[in-house]
Amino acid sequence: MIALPKQETKLMVAVHGWSGIVLGLLLYAVVLTGTAAVFAEEIGIWSGGHVATQSAFERPIASHVQKLGADTPAEYREAVDLFETGDHDLGMFFHRHEMEAGMPISRGWFYLVGADGAVKERSFGTNEDVFGPRNDNAFSSFLVETHVRLHVPSPYGLILTGVLGLAMLVAAISGLLIHRHLFKDIFTLRRGAKPVLLNRDRHSVAGTWSLPFAFILAFTGSFFSFFGTIGVPIVAMAAFGGDVEALNESVFGNPGTPDARPTPTAGLDRITIDAIRRAGAVPTFAAIENFGRADAKVTTYHPPASGDIAPISLVYNGADGTFDAQKPLIGPRPSVGGTLAAIMSPLHFGNFAGIVSKAIWFGLGFAMCYVTYTGLRLWLVRREAGSRSLDWLDRSLVIVGLGLPLALLGSGVAFLLTMPLETATFWTPAGFMIASAAVIAAGALWRSAASFAQALTALTGVVMLALPILRLLMGGPGWVNALEAGQWVIPTVDLALIVAGGALVRRLRFLEKSDADITPVMQAAE
Amino acid sequence: MSILALASLAASSAVIALLCLTDPKRRRALGLQAATNNSAHRGLVVCAAILPGLILAVAGDAAAFLLWLGGCAVIGWLITTANSAHRERR
Repeated sequence: MIALPKQETKLMVAVHGWSGIVLGLLLYAVVLTGTAAVFAEEIGIWSGGHVATQSAFERPIASHVQKLGADTPAEYREAVDLFETGDHDLGMFFHRHEMEAGMPISRGWFYLVGADGAVKERSFGTNEDVFGPRNDNAFSSFLVETHVRLHVPSPYGLILTGVLGLAMLVAAISGLLIHRHLFKDIFTLRRGAKPVLLNRDRHSVAGTWSLPFAFILAFTGSFFSFFGTIGVPIVAMAAFGGDVEALNESVFGNPGTPDARPTPTAGLDRITIDAIRRAGAVPTFAAIENFGRADAKVTTYHPPASGDIAPISLVYNGADGTFDAQKPLIGPRPSVGGTLAAIMSPLHFGNFAGIVSKAIWFGLGFAMCYVTYTGLRLWLVRREAGSRSLDWLDRSLVIVGLGLPLALLGSGVAFLLTMPLETATFWTPAGFMIASAAVIAAGALWRSAASFAQALTALTGVVMLALPILRLLMGGPGWVNALEAGQWVIPTVDLALIVAGGALVRRLRFLEKSDADITPVMQAAE
Repeated sequence: MSILALASLAASSAVIALLCLTDPKRRRALGLQAATNNSAHRGLVVCAAILPGLILAVAGDAAAFLLWLGGCAVIGWLITTANSAHRERR
């Protein structure tokens, strides 16, 4: 489509190939876990066996916040975060802002209040402890954490995933430049062709269809990775003398005249009722600044309104619960920058139109996985044609490409087995590590990469089919109970696993019968 | 909003399927007889595929437009692979 001179095309092909081959396997891991993480909330409901459907913000919460606020030492009442966790329980984090190793953190008391008003948990810690994995969400939290930072400590994990996002951007741009017949080839998949042509078609067809979203997902992903690790410190250094807390206060806070007179933050129930009415949806999060003071402000965060993609933030006076203003994400007044920053999240997570947008974003993520996998395979097949032995890379590709989904399912199995024992936060990542080690060892010893791919495909299908049964055996709610409670997510995820697992097993049987191409799992989606 | 987006997506998907079935290069690759439509006709069909998205964009419905765009990408890919697999198995 874009005619580059021959030399530049060769350079672009090299950039495209090497950017993929050097970082491709890691990129595949990030994209695959990101694809699963699109449904992190639903996976959390399914794996944790949560059947409640009434939001904690639809129940009276003001008296609980008042009472627990009174129990909390005054130095930790600077701010309060309110959010849902577990089976629509209400999490309250009374905290103060501190700096630790140059990074802003929150430290204070966390309370978990159940639907019956009973305090289920009291603990002291930082935001990392409060928002980190819990026994009942360890599996979904593990998926998200793998996607966000590959379990590499901060800030290096975020920087690594940011670099991977940039590599994806480079691959998308160079791919666009080297493909001379982008739209002419968009429907061409030559099934019976030689391996190079076969893999080229698969890579370019999936890549062309999903190209706009390769840019969007790579850019927004890099934005999130670099925002806190590089962007905020640089802006703080340039404009706030390195004071990150001052930057956060100016950019994200609610400006106003300080008034430290003790006044109860009493209007919370009024606020939640009004916020749900104005935004048309329950808050995903609420933050109280200056709790117990006359200048207390409450900000509620909501999903986008119908037809829009920017999330909604509403600001209220904490003392009397009166509505103050709709707040942009950045700064006190609406701006282009604020709007752009606000739409980064829905563009990346696809969470702007409920389950429909999530399903589409899941499909796009799957297409990205497929593009990455077939791109690596194409690079490999091209060199195999030149009779150079790259068996180790072929095996690595199968181990990561097909072993990673199996290892993730293995962590799900470990979660379901250990959640009733309250040890899921340890065993979920441990289950992943054990499954990964087993896949790597088997992959190294198996007689050929191709037959190992078939074995992994079969095993992945079998584990998918087994997961709903295991969930029920470990005491998870049945379909009747879930549907009676209005919780359709649990049966839907069960069904999705059964259909996907069945398709993988059936696909394998088809391959055996036809004795055709033995390229593996990803073909199930074709 | 979702209903409008899904209706637009359904309309565009039908046109994408038509484009796929009549695509000259695909038909050549599968050893099928070339479709009778010419490039001007194909251009009109492409415009028909894009039209629902344009209407959503002009109406300012950002969410529906994104649903349509993302949905077309996924469904276009699925239609292409499904047609190829279908031809292979026959």
